Amino acid sequence: MSAREKILSRIRAAQGRAGSEPTEAELAAVRADIARRERGPQPGIARTADPLAQFKRECDRVGTTHFEAESLAVVPGAVARYLEANGLGRRLVAWHEFAGLDWHAHGITVDDRPARGDDGTGLTGSFCAVAETGTLLLLSSPETPKSTALLPETHIAVASRQRLVDTMEDAFALLRAERGELPRATWFVSGASRTADIEQTLVIGAHGPYRAHVILLP
Amino acid sequence: MKVGLFVTCLVDLVRPRVGFATLRLLESAGCEVVVPEAQTCCGQPGYNSGAREIAKSLALKVLAEFRDCDYVVAPSGSCSGQVKRHYAGDLFRGAPEEAEFAKLAAKWYELSEFLVDVLKVRQVPGRFEGAVTYHDSCSGLRELGVKQGPRALLRQAGATVTEMAECEKCCGFGGTFSVKLGDISTRMAENKCVNIHASGARVVAGGDLGCLMNIEGRLRREGDTETRVMHFAEIIAGEA
Amino acid sequence: MQVQSMFFKRTSSMKLDDPVLQRNMKHAKGKFVDLRAKAIVEIDNWEDIRTHAAALRDRTLANLDAYLVEFERNATRRGAQVHWAETAEAACDILVEIARANGVKKVTKSKSMVSEEVNLNERMEAAGIRIIETDLGEYILQLANEPPSHIVAPAVHKSKEEVADLFTVAHGRSRTVEIPELTLEARLALRDHFLTADMGISGANFVIAETGTTLTVTNEGNADMVTTVPKIHCVITGIEKVIPTLEDFATLIRLLPRSAIGQTIANYLTLTTGVKGPGDSDGPEQMHIVLVDAGRTRFVGSDMQEMLRCIRCGACMNHCPVYQNIGGHAYGWVYPGPMGSVLTPVYVGIENAGDLPNASTFCGECQVVCPVKIPLPDLMRKLRERQFDNALRPWGERMAIRAWSFAVQRPKLYAALAAVGSRVAAWMGGKDRVIHWMPGADGWTRGRDMPAPEGKTFRELYRSRPSAKGGGAAISPSLGRGQGEGQP
Repeated sequence: MSAREKILSRIRAAQGRAGSEPTEAELAAVRADIARRERGPQPGIARTADPLAQFKRECDRVGTTHFEAESLAVVPGAVARYLEANGLGRRLVAWHEFAGLDWHAHGITVDDRPARGDDGTGLTGSFCAVAETGTLLLLSSPETPKSTALLPETHIAVASRQRLVDTMEDAFALLRAERGELPRATWFVSGASRTADIEQTLVIGAHGPYRAHVILLP
Repeated sequence: MKVGLFVTCLVDLVRPRVGFATLRLLESAGCEVVVPEAQTCCGQPGYNSGAREIAKSLALKVLAEFRDCDYVVAPSGSCSGQVKRHYAGDLFRGAPEEAEFAKLAAKWYELSEFLVDVLKVRQVPGRFEGAVTYHDSCSGLRELGVKQGPRALLRQAGATVTEMAECEKCCGFGGTFSVKLGDISTRMAENKCVNIHASGARVVAGGDLGCLMNIEGRLRREGDTETRVMHFAEIIAGEA
Repeated sequence: MQVQSMFFKRTSSMKLDDPVLQRNMKHAKGKFVDLRAKAIVEIDNWEDIRTHAAALRDRTLANLDAYLVEFERNATRRGAQVHWAETAEAACDILVEIARANGVKKVTKSKSMVSEEVNLNERMEAAGIRIIETDLGEYILQLANEPPSHIVAPAVHKSKEEVADLFTVAHGRSRTVEIPELTLEARLALRDHFLTADMGISGANFVIAETGTTLTVTNEGNADMVTTVPKIHCVITGIEKVIPTLEDFATLIRLLPRSAIGQTIANYLTLTTGVKGPGDSDGPEQMHIVLVDAGRTRFVGSDMQEMLRCIRCGACMNHCPVYQNIGGHAYGWVYPGPMGSVLTPVYVGIENAGDLPNASTFCGECQVVCPVKIPLPDLMRKLRERQFDNALRPWGERMAIRAWSFAVQRPKLYAALAAVGSRVAAWMGGKDRVIHWMPGADGWTRGRDMPAPEGKTFRELYRSRPSAKGGGAAISPSLGRGQGEGQP
């Protein structure tokens, strides 16, 4: 008997069922339960009348700075001002979707490739934003590598107010509707990386970015 | 209204005056109080030591002794928690006696609950001017939700309730825990005493004798012979 | 991790006398407890969410085999390989074999309590594979060669000075006690390892049946590094971690960071599903998921199954007055505090951890704060019942219960013994009315006096009372006489 069979039969025996494999009927019941995709109780902060205000409030709490831009075209200018204000170098590694913007006009050099360990600033998009917790949902793909959001010291993300949803449940519903399946990496980011492992004292910038900045498009 | 008094084994053995204070409070409110003589213990020490069968036989004994009462009152949140939460809820869950134990639970009250919620007492007999800090015993607080009742009664007596830090933190008694893991238990009592002293009150009150003995024992060992440790019943019955 | 739980009593007493630990624990207690209290009041339906979460965990556990198989099917479909390990040794064997087969020299690991259970680091090192802890707390402990003392904040027992001493030796830089600088040192030391490791090992906070996803919750981002950069990603997790859907994760994540550290949300919620796709620049080429039993099936279907609801937030220990005073190491195995007092005896044998179920006053705080409503005191009591039924407690203790039991069931005998006891103890109390030493109760009288009884029992005094009924004489004129509201 394999370890798998032994574990499964132990579980089944403990629950009063014979054999080492769930029956088709049992699996069908589990799939039916999954297919219900039942949502848990939604808290008040998830049903706010002004999701944008909620999103920004939560960003403030986790230390994510934010800026509302009128269009994609003004992103390079907004990035330039952010880099300037934070004393950062004018070089970015960016997701492909942003490589074609007019960076040159703002004196910014953009590398259209996945980030490496020594990149200073990474620019990414986002699949959607979640108001409840001030969170961005990012999905990996050949054009949207995860490393760009992770390795650089500064992470700038572009999000769309049209794609601001109330809750994580809404984000998952959108993801299923548009993509069907989860990509390899699906990750929710709320602010810069941090730790409180020494004397429970909060320090920003553990292994990932020190700074997180969101540019909100209409 | 026939009210059975469950004295509790600790009050019987160590502080009968708490029993008499309770008796006075009930009788002066017009209750006909009966004190079944064969009562001993609710069984909690056995129950919490893993002696389930012993706990069950004591539960049946309690049930028989108080069957005829309209209400049962105990000056202890801990014993009341045992009766109200664990008899029907655990020991006899699914057993033929479950319904009877559920009835017992429904008519059983911790003293402050009974005075406040059932008798709706507006003026207790005792007078006590001065600051009292109140220790919330765990079972009463978390199993029964006893929190404001004893404080309201103390205020009726004229006392000022001066809250200590962490008034809801366990004092370390825990029944046999206090002996089995005495060092940890002592440290918890010590922490409680620090908070009592910091409150500035010279009287600490509570609703469970086990906790009160633990707190008093630690205070005395620390050389504090001044701080008075009392059951709230003593204060509001005018026996402080 | 080697089991030291049999020394609980002795170790806990030592910890009470360790001034550095005591200071560190006091400091931590304030943070955890206060931050959680503030965080949960922001959720207007916290209790409803707890109830829903407990129910969803129960529902999954009731069909655990089918959810696991469904998870396996979906994970496999996405290119992951699912392995099953009955024991700690088997789990290590699987991971060592994967590493060997792929010529792995260096492994980065994000925090996994299951890996502590199975002694993974030791086994990897013995096989000649370097394994590097990347959670800051775990990294500190790996340098110190110590086990974690807390499941969320593993190095909570360490002061910054102690960390500084360790880092000075490990990093060869001048000593600093500034926490941001210490954190930066660890970042720099670990960054290179993240980029050059051949294999990453992570735990999983949950695995999702619907999608075949494994999931980590971190603030540091180390799990993201470990699951993104190396060519091989291995997940080691317990079989009870499976949840049905993404919606269920959304529910549980409202509870987890708030309960753990009072945080609205953790910075990185990382869902990994299968291997990298064609054209992906990052992500692993191989993904292995090791589902570990190692004692978990002992809970399944038992009267203690509720324990498997646990989502490892640590709130029970943070609020436990016993844990707060002795720290995690005294518990002698991976899981400290109330959850450990239930898990450890079942996983390592109750005969090796007999004091743990007894290391509770049943104050109930753990149950109140548990986000999935595990009745921890009830579960500890069930373990005490097993000890009692199998004569696993010390002889003296068992005899005391037997003697007490004999007496309390015989009211006349009990009354007589109580009358004698009350008199003797009153006499022992002397004029101070406190007893300084009591035979058989040394645990009490070592650190406390015993208030002496009054000298006569209530029942004696009551019997000799002039009027044992009615009580007209005692009526206070000022007493309000609201009548009861009839029968309850």
